[in-house]
Amino acid sequence: MKNKVIKALLFGGICVKNDPVVIKGTKEGISIILDDSLEFDDLQKALYEKLKNSRNFFSGGNVRIQAKNRNLSNEEYEKLQKLFTDFGMNLQEASSPKTMIFPKPNKSRVLLLKKTIRSGQKIAYNGSVVILGDANPGSEIIAAGDILVMGTLRGMAHAGADGDSSAVVTAFRLKPTQLRIAGVIARPPEEREDGPLFPEIARLKNNVIVIEPL
Amino acid sequence: MGEVIVITSGKGGVGKTTTTANLGTGFALYKQKRVVMLDADIGLRNLDVVMGLENRIVYDLVDAANGICRTKQALIKDKRFENLYLLPAAQTKDKTAVSPEQMKKICEELKEDFDYVLIDCPAGIEQGFKNAIAGADRAIIVTTPEVSAVRDADRIVGLLEAAGFEEPKLIINRLRPDMIKRGDMMDVDDMIDVLAIDLLGVVPEDEKIVISTNKGEPAVADETSKAGQAYRNIVRRLEGEDVPLITEEKTEAGFLEKLRQFFGLKAHTK
Repeated sequence: MKNKVIKALLFGGICVKNDPVVIKGTKEGISIILDDSLEFDDLQKALYEKLKNSRNFFSGGNVRIQAKNRNLSNEEYEKLQKLFTDFGMNLQEASSPKTMIFPKPNKSRVLLLKKTIRSGQKIAYNGSVVILGDANPGSEIIAAGDILVMGTLRGMAHAGADGDSSAVVTAFRLKPTQLRIAGVIARPPEEREDGPLFPEIARLKNNVIVIEPL
Repeated sequence: MGEVIVITSGKGGVGKTTTTANLGTGFALYKQKRVVMLDADIGLRNLDVVMGLENRIVYDLVDAANGICRTKQALIKDKRFENLYLLPAAQTKDKTAVSPEQMKKICEELKEDFDYVLIDCPAGIEQGFKNAIAGADRAIIVTTPEVSAVRDADRIVGLLEAAGFEEPKLIINRLRPDMIKRGDMMDVDDMIDVLAIDLLGVVPEDEKIVISTNKGEPAVADETSKAGQAYRNIVRRLEGEDVPLITEEKTEAGFLEKLRQFFGLKAHTK
């Protein structure tokens, strides 16, 4: 038990807070709330990153901007309009949005890969990912749901990438370079150790990634 | 119809050119095969220097690819070994001077005439790498026992798999058994564990490689060189012979270990 607590502390997570760009689903389409403390350029960059990371998820959708206390100039508005068009979205006139909750990622969707994920290879999937093989250092696995590696996980794994904090990362040998669950990032302790020779599971508890024997 | 083998690594300085020179010489000298070594490192050519053929170059790979000469005209016959040829790279051009299609064509042409076409691949994963693998049937990956080299080798395995290569083989170069014994170097099992590909051979660190490289005479022909021995074994394995690996114990066994082995006790290496 004691061992477990120590490990949880070592994995002390960095919580991603104060997202400058919040994307919400509303009855009229997608509503994007922009933080008003940021410079426009930084905001635009953050929005671009966010849209890029969600790939074509929002493509074809109608979008409204909520800028809180910010006054967008015409030029800035046009820049945003172009950005949304690039991602296949239609920017519409702002209106007061009625927030609704996004449907949860469909965790029953599973991607099964029978191979070694090697350095430079990236697996991104809107569901859970199961690897029959190893995930080597320099590889990235990003899943909306859970990640299960039936081998050694040595690379980076991000479970619950869309914000699902109940997502878990499981591996026969859990030796990641970095673990991410929802918005929490953790890295293993600096001192090199070989780690236990049994399967382990990583999950979020009180916003800290905790590793336990499976 | 011969076979085209590309020797690649991702990282530079791990011994691709040395390996190409030694395997090429090994095939020609010990197996009487007709071999051509193709230097694909355009702009940074080395294989001609390692083979001691620098001053014989007239035409090069770029000339052959662009039809300035016939492929056969660009081939240089080795000065010592019968059946061994070199197709040198151009030094004054860069990797974009040749296209993957042109490389494929040259490889097809050389295959008709030779038993082995060995391609010395440049470091990196860009155009030069793409050219070098374009015409190859098989791939050999060279790595050294360093995390950076193993990481790059892993990347290369991924790229080769994506390009349709089945089961690339691994050569671990510059291994130092004494350092492994002290726990200061990655051991062979660790590397195989990560890369998950077949091991073709382990080449120990050997001063004689430096000497032979500077002289332009591949170590494989030197009967007293440990690295040369390792390369001879790799040549035999590529020819389908079953040759046991030179293990750490066998190369560096001290008196006590030999005594233990004599009495049937297993030597502790870890």
